[in-house]
Amino acid sequence: MARVIAKHDVLVVGAGCAGMRAAIEAFDAGADVAMISKIHPTRSHSGAAEGGINAALGNASEDSPEIHAYDTVKGSDYLGDQDGIEILCDEAPADVYQLENWGAVFSRTEDGRIAQRPFGAAGAPRTAYAADITGHVLVQVLWEQVCKRDIPTYEEYFAWQLVENDGRCQGVVCWDLMDGGLKTIGAKTVILATGGAGRLYTGTTNAYACTGDGMAMALRAGLPLKDMEMMQFHPTTLAPTGVLITEGCRGEGAYLLNKDGERFLKRYAPNTMELASRDVISRAEQMEIDAGRGVDGNVLLDLRHLGAERIIERLPGSRELSMTFLGVDPIYDPIPVRPGAHYHMGGVATDVWGQTELTGLYAAGECACVSVHGANRLGGNALMETITFGKRSGAHAAEWALSHTTVEVPDSVERDAERELNALLDRKDGERPWAIRDELASTMHENFGVFRREHQMEEQGTIVAGLQQRYERALVEDKGEVFNSDLTGTIELGFLLDLAECMVVAGIERRESRGAHARPDDYPVRDDENFMKHTMVHWVDGAPKLSWEPVRMTKWQPQERKY
Amino acid sequence: MAAAGEEVLMKVALKIWRYDSATGDRALKEYEIEAPEWATLLDCLDIVKDKHDGSLAYRKSCRMMICGSCGMRMDGAAVLACKTRMYEIAQSGHVPVVSAMGNLPIRKDLVVDMDPFWAKFNAMKPWLQPGYERPEDGREYRISQERMNVIHKEALCINCGCCVSECNAMESDPEFLGPQALAKGMRFVGDPRDGATIERLEQYNSEHGIWDCTRCFFCNERCPKGVDPRDAIAKLGAESVAQGIDRDMGAKHAKWFVKSAETTGWLRETELVPKTQGVVEALKQTKFALNLAKHGKVPPPFPPHVARDVNEARNLRKLVREQDRQGALGHVQGEHALAKLDHGHAGESLEEIYDRPGAAPRPWLPEIKEEPSA
Repeated sequence: MARVIAKHDVLVVGAGCAGMRAAIEAFDAGADVAMISKIHPTRSHSGAAEGGINAALGNASEDSPEIHAYDTVKGSDYLGDQDGIEILCDEAPADVYQLENWGAVFSRTEDGRIAQRPFGAAGAPRTAYAADITGHVLVQVLWEQVCKRDIPTYEEYFAWQLVENDGRCQGVVCWDLMDGGLKTIGAKTVILATGGAGRLYTGTTNAYACTGDGMAMALRAGLPLKDMEMMQFHPTTLAPTGVLITEGCRGEGAYLLNKDGERFLKRYAPNTMELASRDVISRAEQMEIDAGRGVDGNVLLDLRHLGAERIIERLPGSRELSMTFLGVDPIYDPIPVRPGAHYHMGGVATDVWGQTELTGLYAAGECACVSVHGANRLGGNALMETITFGKRSGAHAAEWALSHTTVEVPDSVERDAERELNALLDRKDGERPWAIRDELASTMHENFGVFRREHQMEEQGTIVAGLQQRYERALVEDKGEVFNSDLTGTIELGFLLDLAECMVVAGIERRESRGAHARPDDYPVRDDENFMKHTMVHWVDGAPKLSWEPVRMTKWQPQERKY
Repeated sequence: MAAAGEEVLMKVALKIWRYDSATGDRALKEYEIEAPEWATLLDCLDIVKDKHDGSLAYRKSCRMMICGSCGMRMDGAAVLACKTRMYEIAQSGHVPVVSAMGNLPIRKDLVVDMDPFWAKFNAMKPWLQPGYERPEDGREYRISQERMNVIHKEALCINCGCCVSECNAMESDPEFLGPQALAKGMRFVGDPRDGATIERLEQYNSEHGIWDCTRCFFCNERCPKGVDPRDAIAKLGAESVAQGIDRDMGAKHAKWFVKSAETTGWLRETELVPKTQGVVEALKQTKFALNLAKHGKVPPPFPPHVARDVNEARNLRKLVREQDRQGALGHVQGEHALAKLDHGHAGESLEEIYDRPGAAPRPWLPEIKEEPSA
């Protein structure tokens, strides 16, 4: 029987950049805060962010939060909510200085300030960086600050279900990976910071841990997911599995070439070339590859002219990845790259304080959708979002928790979870989940990738429905208590399948091309009149149900988007 | 080897030490699998778990050498599973033995209990302790890149535990702070923003601290990220001595080495013991020393002599002084880590690189004739 093992004011689910930043803020506001994470916090996928974090510090050239905001609105293909974007860009500089004051090991300018490099679709060199391990450096500094505050972490606890009671979110039911057993943790407020769901795709930059747990838990608790069709494809990932090569390479001046050595972006984004936005470049690459101008399904990321010194100093991680996984040394040879699933602009719908529709439940970081990224995120804005909105949701959750007293987890919650778990573990025969997982990922790649076509999306809907049926008979082979990743992996697959359904429904209904959602055959252009609005998917009677919500605008009217 | 992306399969055989802490059962099991030619050890474990035995336990996450989850041993040496390509091993017919990391309790199969590891990490008070002036303008501290480079390697640490797994000193003294915690310590001692240098050095100079390191260099050898923890420990030692924190026998030992070398050009071992451990302790060891002398293990102190090439030692010492390489700052960063990546780069010009046989085409810009579209 699951039991409530502890109660807290604020319980953060996920301990990457957003989760840790939220926990720190809640702690400093005086709340009793704890984190749950299925992997140790420093293992979080935030640490794999390479290129940098965007803030208008003006260290490399003149810049302002307003220009940052405009770039972000334009980059979002006008689907971003402008109130959230203004907050992000206004608060970004102070938030970055705070990270530096805490000890983040940023690269430096000649005069000792935080160094900033150019990034895609940015009007100024705005991306603060630490070589090409910026995410790693931020995860480390946040973990250091968590250690300093001695914030408790339920480490290797797998969050499975939200506790909803009395119209509030009041805790989380978890599976204890290390010791086994269901454990329920009560809380006045819960902040979801579980990251993305890139594991929906075969070629993805995302870690194995990125299975959309928080999104799916919120969905199952009746909350809407916003803009789920908006999955960003990063232009430079390594075949075959999608390991990320940073946009910082292009920020430092790398070229993208087709098999003839042509810098083909001249034909797609003549002004910004390799520094156009990610959706534009991923499409251009895919068109080159589809037209037979690729090299074994890739294009070439050419760093040769940067020279050995600059590559070794500024991009050592990218070089290491390329050499380890492909045996290609970018000092001598271009790196073969292709678009790969990278970042979910969509997620749990929140306001600018991270609040969801359910009282006491918040979301921050990639699992949330404020939306500051709209239909296409700019490189360097994701880390910034985790920090700024992690902080804001931590502050709001703490304030709410400190003015409310009770936490109540009904027995029925634990009984239901126990029953569901036993049904899964007691199953004696069925299908091992890996084939379902691999088929989901490969078909999503095929049918819901860089370009989307009506018949493929329809087909994908049918495929996912079939996989859902097979999942009903998924067989967990490991029946043990200690580190049963067979069990958690199977639960994760269930999360992914639900999210895929939401994506397909939203993708079919968005009958236009905007940002990451490109429909070249039937709706090749943006349609502001009918579709400048967010998709919202609820889970109703075991199926996704779509509705729409307007974009929140402040001062920028939609314009034609050219790079 | 086929180009990445083509699913050409190879046969891979692995032996894995299975362990169940609940029952105490332990067994070496062999698995034969088919894997893509590009597969890493981690990919192979995934195939074993998916298709052969769902109960196999190991940690994984990023599969790109940055999260530090998949530290384990292959043929007795710590590796990151995601960094270890299997093609050559499989082709050679070798069947590698995969086991959990050393120096940490095993919970199941390849999963170790990391609590002791993190306890040492926490013992370092691993957070910046502002003690100097905070930036008045509310912005960042102003630090040169050169100064930041001092802790470049330490900042690369991903806490995977490979160094701890291989640490010989920790094997005999489990309380030893160990390579990763001390590297983390250096990350703060070397940071000009940190104001707790003396307190930190005092702590690292106490029992189970830096001087317990046996200098076997296994941590440097096995670190998958080029952190070079042993170098960090050396830097902490140098900084301790530079700051006058030298009461530990280890510090005295090191100082006497230098003194002995620069005065007579050789190591005067009979003086080493009293200089390091004190006269009283040294006297207690007289019998031991005489036994050593009897077996010709120590050169006789009499008559006193000076090595012929003593000036070499003296000049070296002078050079080190002149270059101000007495503390942590004096240690040049990055060579080792970068050398690991430096697969024969010879400083060719761009033209030479473009002209290499089989080189990819030179980049060129197309002329645009019509209105561009995005």
